[in-house]
Amino acid sequence: MTQDNLRWPEISFEDRIGTARFDVGERAHITVDSRICADCSTRECVVACPAKLFVPTADGGILFNYEQCFECGTCYMVCNREGAIAWTYPDGGHGVVFSQT
Amino acid sequence: MPDSPMPDNPMPDNPMPETPFFEVVVVGAGPAGSCAATVLARRGVSVLLIERGPFPGSKNMYGGVVYPRILDSLHPEWWEEMPIQRWVTRRSTMVLTENQAVTIDFRSQNWGVPPYNGATAYRPDMDHWLASKAEAAGARLLTSTTVTGLITDARGQVCGVRTDRPDGDVACRMVIACDGVNSFVAKEAGLYPDLNPANFTLGVKETLGLSRSVIEERFAVRDREGVDIEILGGTQGVNGGGFIYTNLDTLAVGVVLKLPALAAQKTRPEEIIAHLKSHPGIAPLVEGGEILEYSAHLIPEAGRSMMPQLTGEGLLVAGDAAAMCLAAGIWLEGVNFAMASGMAAAETAAEAITAGDVSKRGLAGYEKRLNSSFVLADHDKLSRIPGLVLSDRVQHQYPQMIANVVERVFRVDNPQPKPGLRKIFAEERKRAGVRLRDLARDGWTGMRGFG
Amino acid sequence: MIRILVCQKWVAPEGDSRGASHSPADRAALELALHIRDRAEDQTEVIVVSLGGPGALHGLRDSLARGADRALWISGPTDLRSDAVAAAIHSAVSTHLVEIGVPDWVICGDYSADRGSGSVPAFLAAFWDAEQALGLVQVTEHSASSLGAVRRLDGGRRELLSVSSPAVLSVEGSVATLRRATLARELAAATMEISEATAPLGPRETPVEVTAYRPRARMLAAPAGQTALERVRSITDTATAAAHGETVALTPDEAAERILTALRDWGYL
Repeated sequence: MTQDNLRWPEISFEDRIGTARFDVGERAHITVDSRICADCSTRECVVACPAKLFVPTADGGILFNYEQCFECGTCYMVCNREGAIAWTYPDGGHGVVFSQT
Repeated sequence: MPDSPMPDNPMPDNPMPETPFFEVVVVGAGPAGSCAATVLARRGVSVLLIERGPFPGSKNMYGGVVYPRILDSLHPEWWEEMPIQRWVTRRSTMVLTENQAVTIDFRSQNWGVPPYNGATAYRPDMDHWLASKAEAAGARLLTSTTVTGLITDARGQVCGVRTDRPDGDVACRMVIACDGVNSFVAKEAGLYPDLNPANFTLGVKETLGLSRSVIEERFAVRDREGVDIEILGGTQGVNGGGFIYTNLDTLAVGVVLKLPALAAQKTRPEEIIAHLKSHPGIAPLVEGGEILEYSAHLIPEAGRSMMPQLTGEGLLVAGDAAAMCLAAGIWLEGVNFAMASGMAAAETAAEAITAGDVSKRGLAGYEKRLNSSFVLADHDKLSRIPGLVLSDRVQHQYPQMIANVVERVFRVDNPQPKPGLRKIFAEERKRAGVRLRDLARDGWTGMRGFG
Repeated sequence: MIRILVCQKWVAPEGDSRGASHSPADRAALELALHIRDRAEDQTEVIVVSLGGPGALHGLRDSLARGADRALWISGPTDLRSDAVAAAIHSAVSTHLVEIGVPDWVICGDYSADRGSGSVPAFLAAFWDAEQALGLVQVTEHSASSLGAVRRLDGGRRELLSVSSPAVLSVEGSVATLRRATLARELAAATMEISEATAPLGPRETPVEVTAYRPRARMLAAPAGQTALERVRSITDTATAAAHGETVALTPDEAAERILTALRDWGYL
């Protein structure tokens, strides 16, 4: 870590994602087929998702949240496993609400 | 059911009498969709503008600079009304290595007076304003409504959309898809032959709160003047780039990351921003800034080569949905292409409806319009540049080479005499592992591409 | 004709109209009213009323789109005192008696999106001289003139109520999930008529300065006990905590006095 990082420590990821507003819908707009993910060793979604929605579990699976999603589409784009991630937009009016970007 | 004007033209009546009908449905109230709806409404075409967010702009994020001159015709003196943050009067291009920075800085006060050049603006503000102009022109805006599919008639021509509202179908003569980089409408219509992740970058950004006076002091601007800094390097080896833009009392600081390169390594996007912010050339500009909003969005980065078919049966595609985003190093534009393509789509649609032919053939004027305007002209001219800018040599070798050359030029090595520029360059090129042949080829691509 | 009046407040966060909304409780109130109407055998009408600036019109249109039959807008500031809000609503409805009639049910959310005191429903019940059932977490069986409801009490307890019209209800957000507007109705709501009412406007809420609560210091004897654990226990009252619970049967005046005495004893006042 550089001096600068020490002087201005980065906020926690929870605080970071908490800066955006989310009106979470009841329907999960992304679904993950964990049987397919169990065989995946590359796990592109884990590093690439800017909202950090994909978390590897100890038993080799993927834990997934849809709630604080930017709806960007990175996960299904980088995933190289056919059918692992089913991605739609959230129901109308729900999901992320940006204000200063 | 609201009253929907039924035009007297030779086309069949609403094919689905029970459903609401509009002549044109525009999917997505971003810059492309709102400009399309404005043009259509002004031409007396009944138009429904459907937005999935609670208000136009709520789903939209970009780097931070818009070039609105295309609005001169649509909204004369737009600068009086448009909710902008600052007028860009200073543009810098930075090349970063771990501990060096080479900056080319340009300033023009001409860009601080009407009709201006570029402006920083928040998309939730700007898109909201553009949509309000469409509504004022007579377009119907329907928010909080996600389009879930197209309705086609027996001939395979688009004649409506399905939405996620109860009884959510809408009938229409044709659809203009302005539904953004993930365009499910264009994909459903089969206009995207393949989806290559290498054509996309992820834009990740922090909006940092700082006082106006601190921003103006650090960036040497006054009043509503603003700065646009594009950065090559500084993305921890992930092909892409960085940016810093000044808003009124915030900074937009972020990175653009090529998807396969991002996925192939282990550093997360927010860590790459943190690293950029800690660079000795960047840290003094951003220090003390509180993160007010963290956001991300995909960018269709590959330009002309990734564009889908722009025209279908009863369907036109505009804006990011058609990959009309120009990421050509020194030019980073998208909103202007979206607005222009939306307007061109609307003009074509209005003519086609009058002529009674919204088939693919009847809509052929769209591509002609785009070809004769900057939308496709710029993309055609610069078609090789996005690939060049994101190439491994430009990303990983040239920044170090350039910075080392400049460092040696300015380093006073007394008692050694000053070496000749040619010698420095040859040595640094070798040290960076750049083959002369590759350099010449990239130089040629750049000269031809930018020329 | 059965009339259900739904009172809602359209609140914009920090003056940004783009994020304006009804509270989940206000949304549940509308859904409950629509639900009662849809299942009623008699002709039933749902009237939404909102007091506020022109922004309230957006909220009323939203409710019309979701199925309310009529809307009444009372133009006024959004920071009236709760009794003044209730008085204005009562007065506005009374002057529009021909259109609206006397409501059989008045349904409110138990809090607005800007978190007021939640006392408007009680004032409404007073003005209409109606029964009140406030803070409902569930509404069970209902007919046009009576319904069963579950109310939240302290300590995780629930109270079962049987309420007859005319009555004022306030509901929590969990009571019902508000339906979405159909596409046609959403489009139609943009041009639907909203009655505008004027009402005498009472005083505004005086802003209260809120500071962190600091109990006054108390002198305590040094704790007794052989071990540190015992001494800590004696200060924190853990050994005698159960003794704090007390059930008394008193008249309201005596009960109030008893509460005050206890608060003084404990050092809160």
